[in-house]
Amino acid sequence: MTIIRTDPLSSPHCPHIDKDRELIHVDCASHVYPDGSVGIHEMCFYVQKNEIVALCGPNGSGKSTLIEHLNGLLTPSKGHIAVNGKLISSGDHTDLWREVGVVFQQSDDQLFAPTVLDDVMFGPLNMGMTHDAALNAATGALEAVGAADLVQKLPNYLSGGQKRLISIAGILAMKPLIIAMDEPTSDLDPVHSGMIEGLIRELKQHYGISVVLATHDLDLAARVADRVCLVKKGSVFAEGTPAEIFYDEELLFETGLLPPQIVNVYRAYCQMQGVPADQHPINIEEMMAAIRGK
Amino acid sequence: MSAAALSDHIPDLNLITYYAEKQQSFLSRINPWTKFTYLILIVLLVTLTGNLIILALLYLFILSAYAAAHLPLRKLFGWYTMPVIFVISLVGLMAWSEPGNPIISFTVAGFPVMLTDNGILLVVTLLLKALIVVTFSLLFLMTTQYKYFSAIIYRVFPSPLDQIFLMTYRFLFLTLAMTGSILNAVRSRGGGLIHSILIQGRIFAEVFALVFIRSFERSERVHKAMIARGFSGSYGTVTTIPSLRITEYLFICVGVVVVLAVALTTPSFGG
Repeated sequence: MTIIRTDPLSSPHCPHIDKDRELIHVDCASHVYPDGSVGIHEMCFYVQKNEIVALCGPNGSGKSTLIEHLNGLLTPSKGHIAVNGKLISSGDHTDLWREVGVVFQQSDDQLFAPTVLDDVMFGPLNMGMTHDAALNAATGALEAVGAADLVQKLPNYLSGGQKRLISIAGILAMKPLIIAMDEPTSDLDPVHSGMIEGLIRELKQHYGISVVLATHDLDLAARVADRVCLVKKGSVFAEGTPAEIFYDEELLFETGLLPPQIVNVYRAYCQMQGVPADQHPINIEEMMAAIRGK
Repeated sequence: MSAAALSDHIPDLNLITYYAEKQQSFLSRINPWTKFTYLILIVLLVTLTGNLIILALLYLFILSAYAAAHLPLRKLFGWYTMPVIFVISLVGLMAWSEPGNPIISFTVAGFPVMLTDNGILLVVTLLLKALIVVTFSLLFLMTTQYKYFSAIIYRVFPSPLDQIFLMTYRFLFLTLAMTGSILNAVRSRGGGLIHSILIQGRIFAEVFALVFIRSFERSERVHKAMIARGFSGSYGTVTTIPSLRITEYLFICVGVVVVLAVALTTPSFGG
């Protein structure tokens, strides 16, 4: 994979996508909020089957607006979005929520039902499942996220990490094709961040669900993403593998981001040893292998 | 939930829910439907009767049950502030115009003002009625798990009242937590120590406005999250409440008979 670098203000050009694997195709979509602020601007973005894509960018770059488009909460003022072959244009009322689940940044906004079970069953029941089918789906989802013991709890009595797990279970119970997560590890302790990270991998590996992550946590993106899209001023500014993106300091600087810690540590090690940082490790295992090689 | 109470005089939702979920009292094992039916019966009873002895006995009985359930009595007396203010503000003036044997009398701006025995009786009766209902409501809430409470509301109340309630309850906690955080932020910078009523009033008006705006923003985000999962206008709770046992049916029958007996012996209700 090579870095595709675009000027956000120039004419857009959507990359060539493998149609057989395509799940989401955002084709030069724009969205302007009622107050005139630009949410996304001629955004070109895609998600393929069984893929984890990280959307990285500074605050206000358009990541969350894009996620809301993927689920149909917002429709583009210009351009098209195709989800699983279904074309959504400006002003369409969609039922994209059946195919694209969204895990919101603030779990408290998502958990509104009296109990955890009520909340996790909310989506399946809205999909028209029978009570028993919805119960099975909810129980299965809670087991999958490792929160089966919380089933009768009140959301008030859950920790931040548990709330995040329940939010994911609420989406997983709907069995979507894609799950979009907005800052999934923000405000979490390291243990729960680790659990969420493991869960993101599991969604792809065990359930075949593609995941879109909007995150500031570049270390998380480096560890789990197959592809990284840098978002700037409402457009995908550059995309590539984590190794390609995160070792391009100039590119990160242009986007308003700083390299992940793993990159800093590797570079510092190479500088200390007086050897060139010619490899691009993006996780601990790769870095250990690179260090041993030197 | 470990959030501090906003005031000792406002029922603390976190503490109420804590006791309800702890399920350690013998009253927690009574079927939620039984307790709910008794709440209705007690409201009916205090509406029907004005007999001070019956009301006093009922109040003492409920208070004893509250204490026996190991619920916090001192907190309860603190929480009485609001209903007491409510009753006094309603009947405080009426008490001075009740006919009866005068106890205190004086003249204000040429008008004679008189407090009679019937005036005092009116205040005491209404206070007892209010405290009975408040105490039993708290007893019910503090011994009934929220999942059952919400299931009762869902099954008993018509739409959209049930929807409003189901959506409100959870966010009452979040709004209280938010208010607590804002007040802590105010106090941490000396806001609570300012003695000027004018400045204090302005600060609390600002806190109120901030809570309102933030709650509004939160409601938009919640609505968005619900739409994202296919919300189409209504939702319910899936909790099922255990069926009543024979003994509980009998217990309810006894309650109904008592209320009927009181109704039939009350002059204005055919007795």
